[in-house]
Amino acid sequence: MFHSMYWLQGGGCGGDTMAWLSLEVPDLTEWFALVGIELLYHPAFFNGTAVEHQRLLARIAAGEQDLDILCLEGSILEGPDGTGLADTFMGEPKKDLFRMLAARARVVFAVGTCACFGGVPLEGGVGATGAQFHRWDRGGFLGADFSAGSGLPVINLAGCPCHPDVLAGALGAYAGGRELALNDYNMPLEWFNVLVHQGCTRNEYHEYRVEEKNFGEKGCLFFHMGCQGPLAYGPCNKYLWNRRSSKTRVGVPCFGCTRPDFPNAHPFFRTRNIEGIPLELPDGVDRAHYLAYKGMAAAAAPERLRKRQTWV
Amino acid sequence: MAQVRQLTIPINRVEGDLEVRLRVEHGTVVDAWSCGTLYRGFEKIMVGRQALDGLVITPRICGICSTAHLTAAALALDAIAGVEPPPDAVRIRNLTLMAELLQNDLRHTFLTFMVDFCNPAYRNLPLYEEAVRRFQPLQGSTVKAVLEVTRRILEIVAIFGGQWPHSSYMVPGGITTVPSQSDLLQCRHLAAHFRRWYEDRVLGCGLERWSEVRSAADLDAWLEEDERHRDGELGFLIRFGRAAGLDQIGRGEDSFLSFGALPIPEDSSVRPADGAGKAALIPAGLRRDGHFLPFDPARVTEHAAWSWAAEYPGGRHPFEGLTEPQTSRKSEKYSWAKAPRYDGRPAETGPLAELVVAGRPLFTDLLERAGANALTRQLARLLRPAELLPVMEVWLNEISTERPCYVPVFEPFHGEGCGLTHGARGALGHWVKIVDNTIRHYQIITPTTWNASPRDSLGVGGPWEQALVGTPMPDPENPIAVGHVIRSFDACLVCTVHTIVG
Repeated sequence: MFHSMYWLQGGGCGGDTMAWLSLEVPDLTEWFALVGIELLYHPAFFNGTAVEHQRLLARIAAGEQDLDILCLEGSILEGPDGTGLADTFMGEPKKDLFRMLAARARVVFAVGTCACFGGVPLEGGVGATGAQFHRWDRGGFLGADFSAGSGLPVINLAGCPCHPDVLAGALGAYAGGRELALNDYNMPLEWFNVLVHQGCTRNEYHEYRVEEKNFGEKGCLFFHMGCQGPLAYGPCNKYLWNRRSSKTRVGVPCFGCTRPDFPNAHPFFRTRNIEGIPLELPDGVDRAHYLAYKGMAAAAAPERLRKRQTWV
Repeated sequence: MAQVRQLTIPINRVEGDLEVRLRVEHGTVVDAWSCGTLYRGFEKIMVGRQALDGLVITPRICGICSTAHLTAAALALDAIAGVEPPPDAVRIRNLTLMAELLQNDLRHTFLTFMVDFCNPAYRNLPLYEEAVRRFQPLQGSTVKAVLEVTRRILEIVAIFGGQWPHSSYMVPGGITTVPSQSDLLQCRHLAAHFRRWYEDRVLGCGLERWSEVRSAADLDAWLEEDERHRDGELGFLIRFGRAAGLDQIGRGEDSFLSFGALPIPEDSSVRPADGAGKAALIPAGLRRDGHFLPFDPARVTEHAAWSWAAEYPGGRHPFEGLTEPQTSRKSEKYSWAKAPRYDGRPAETGPLAELVVAGRPLFTDLLERAGANALTRQLARLLRPAELLPVMEVWLNEISTERPCYVPVFEPFHGEGCGLTHGARGALGHWVKIVDNTIRHYQIITPTTWNASPRDSLGVGGPWEQALVGTPMPDPENPIAVGHVIRSFDACLVCTVHTIVG
């Protein structure tokens, strides 16, 4: 059972916290009561003085204050030029503070893709990396061999931002003493074994390869518009955002923001393809069979879809 | 005991990382240095990417104003493509940005600013126990209600944009969404729900009654008029704020900047109050030393003399911004933020600037009587929703599901353009140059870059560096008044300090 929690913001935008504030069932105040987590510090909520915060950190460092759960939001910035000065706390690189806290914590969560894999600042020249991964590679800031006090590696809750239901569910599970099965990137399978594509309201367009070639045409966004829904794992079309919708439902392609290579180097809003066939096919499919199937499906597409008269 | 001391304090409950260095004499701040301590290199990330990529990357600058960054990025691309989005696309872009502003104005006021009223320094004030009951983090009665009402209003962004934060549904030429009657009906309900809560809990009266408050004297009379006015959150802010002396601190330089935002479509029944200038709900302009001046984007520059960036003489326009991050800490430089200037002088931006530039009589009167202060800034923020809500209702009713929300625009993009708008904290600009569809230059000046500005090449301090001077600080371990002044600007440091590489 884990109770005490410290939340550190590194090189990030605060968006994971902002999304978390929109948690609904239960809301944030109810969630804390329900899962029994005591928040020692979060930069958005802490109401003590700076001196009290420093004393808290000193007690954690000395082992006088238990630290069960450490959440990192944002990348670890080791730059520029290895100094760590791109992100400091009281003049010292924040990465050093994270290392101290991670050594004390019983379980560490990387919240959001920046914290998991390096994320948005990766190309910013600031030495960005994730807590225990750097893009697809195990290692990151803490190193491949790191395990927290409970023996667990850093649990990666990816997404830009991390979906509040994922955050609330994962922290709630560990707080209640339940361990979650993880994939190869230490992401809980409960939320990251389902593709963004699943539950997309445009699935029938995908099925018959009815394609959108420009915005607002109400077709499948995978073949031309750069949608990574069939390639990216996440519950966006299962739990929805703000309990309302998702990018693909309003005609915005999935940008693969849970993937370790987000933001990817190739352009957004554009599917890389060879003669009209996407370079990256839905995760795991057999290329030859998929192409044959899509060719036949397009030929079988019903008139009502080709004319796109339905609302998506 | 030393009467002069220099100390650095980190400020939490701001968005991102901020430390202020203070020189304190006899318990009063006599000089201040504002230090942005995080740098992520966004312009460096953008340069070399394709034209539309800014729509995905730049909202990620800030978790709290991602819709504002998306708006600025889309406006810059509209300008480069030479396209005018259809009127309903303009309405929907505006509505999502307005929902984001409403969200911020309540969350900042009640989850960030008024939380300070629970500080033990105020335990002897008569209103203290009530403040704790309302604003204690994650427990107060108002906090719980604000979480509910703000997440509801953000559903408007999700209905049109798929999610909040970090949507990318605005594109050059309009938006990707095709709204339905159900979408519009639900949004109208969400806006009405917010308005009811705002009238009931914040104002304690209807927007119609509130609109009659046009001077400081009207405000006092309104407060006396009804127990519900005094008990509402606005009345509580005024009563507690005066008791705690918030109207005596945080004056700053008398210079208020608006870039203008929320363009009014030509076919709308909404008209700007004065009928002058480019039709925008938040008009552009500058109010400096009590005088109103039109806004000229060519007069915006950025200085880097005190920033951890390679120096250049004077200031540069953001289209010509050029700097490299510098990591040596041996110099006197002290912030990752650069120093934006308008006509060579600092300017503050935010809801107060918007309302005085728009000529709202209550705020013009408050400024003429006492100048800006921490309480007036926060009042402006808490009252901005009163400006936005009636217009949201009109625009939601004017949208048709039969008209297009997108004009096709095709790559490649080529040329330069800027997107100027307002985020929650005020004036926001993206300045973009694209060559053969590849981004060659991307410069961003965020609202907090204006407010948190360090000194410029003439050594003149930024708005809150100036506003901090004179702030009492009797207890260095609990610098509560310093926190009030900084938070009255709604500090957003994640936004501020990415703008080094141009």
